[in-house]
Amino acid sequence: MRFLFNLVLMLVVALAVGFGLSYYALNDGRLFGAVQIGPWTAWPRSGLPAPDPYTRAYLARTGALQLGQGEGMQFVATIDSDGNPLNRACRYRIDGNTPTATFWTLVPIAADGASIARPDGPPGFESGRIARANDGSVQLYVSKTLAPLNWLEITGNGSFQMLLTLYDTTIFTNTGTGPAPLPSIIREAC
Amino acid sequence: MVRTALYVLGGILLGLAIHLVVILTLPQLATGTVATRLAGLGQLDKIVLLDTVKPGAPNPLRLDPELDYALCRLDLRSAPGQVSGTLPLSFWSVSVYDTTGSVLYSTTNRDGIGQTLNVGLFDPAQTRLLAEQKLDIDTGQLIVETKTDDVYVVVRLAPPQPVMRDRYAAQLSKLSCKNIKT
Repeated sequence: MRFLFNLVLMLVVALAVGFGLSYYALNDGRLFGAVQIGPWTAWPRSGLPAPDPYTRAYLARTGALQLGQGEGMQFVATIDSDGNPLNRACRYRIDGNTPTATFWTLVPIAADGASIARPDGPPGFESGRIARANDGSVQLYVSKTLAPLNWLEITGNGSFQMLLTLYDTTIFTNTGTGPAPLPSIIREAC
Repeated sequence: MVRTALYVLGGILLGLAIHLVVILTLPQLATGTVATRLAGLGQLDKIVLLDTVKPGAPNPLRLDPELDYALCRLDLRSAPGQVSGTLPLSFWSVSVYDTTGSVLYSTTNRDGIGQTLNVGLFDPAQTRLLAEQKLDIDTGQLIVETKTDDVYVVVRLAPPQPVMRDRYAAQLSKLSCKNIKT
């Protein structure tokens, strides 16, 4: 009886560690190849000819057409800067400076990748078509309700993600000081 | 007690083995990978424009709705491949994927290639012939060596304004994707 109990315990521990660690590696992934800057996460080796096994597994899981290393870098945010999951019932302010890039886009999407922007409006923000502060920083609003400055109206209910894609960027090529900071995602009202 | 702890330790080690197996086999076992999606969309020696991402519509490849995409498939077994054409003066990029979905090569028009896209794709044997000057190619052609004979080329084009989208997509569709006559 004792042997059976130990055997079951071992299998439970093995399955929990095996699948739990795999789930963590492919979702959070910070210990396994993903880079997190504030609420934004990217897999910098996803655009290499021979990505590491964790990046390869992440790409297989998402099925996304990743950018090549020479094209740019894509960041995903599923949480705001306080660590709360992004929810369409809330209004979010994306505030701060973006790293050097030829241009960038910011698109809100559902978990399946579908755009959740208003059907007859723009699908997201494009860096060349927004108003900026005098210091070059941006203030973008994503919400279902009217917001000032640069506002993107979203639809539907439930959680969502934000995709920030930097094209022709130097974010991971700065020497010595690490990657440049990315804008904060601040929840203003729900 | 000690025996139970040893079983737990054994469970952790077995769990690490399961984790490694999951990570290493996932790319082979997954069905909706970028490789299978490209295989379903790409056509041999033909430029295919990917559908514009509409709000609410499925977007399994996670394409950027602000960009237009052109895809072409090339088989380099018979001859090297070439993707060429003229694109508008706006941001565009080109990337080459192998059949596993890895990016073999990518560049943007900021790298000095301006409006003219002319990429030659050569497998290792053809690259050797090229080095021996046994293959004739266009002057100024960007030479890309691929590991495999089956490759996908994706060209991304960013229209500066939404109203210019149709015109830019038309320009993208005029790109040439073919095997080079040797």
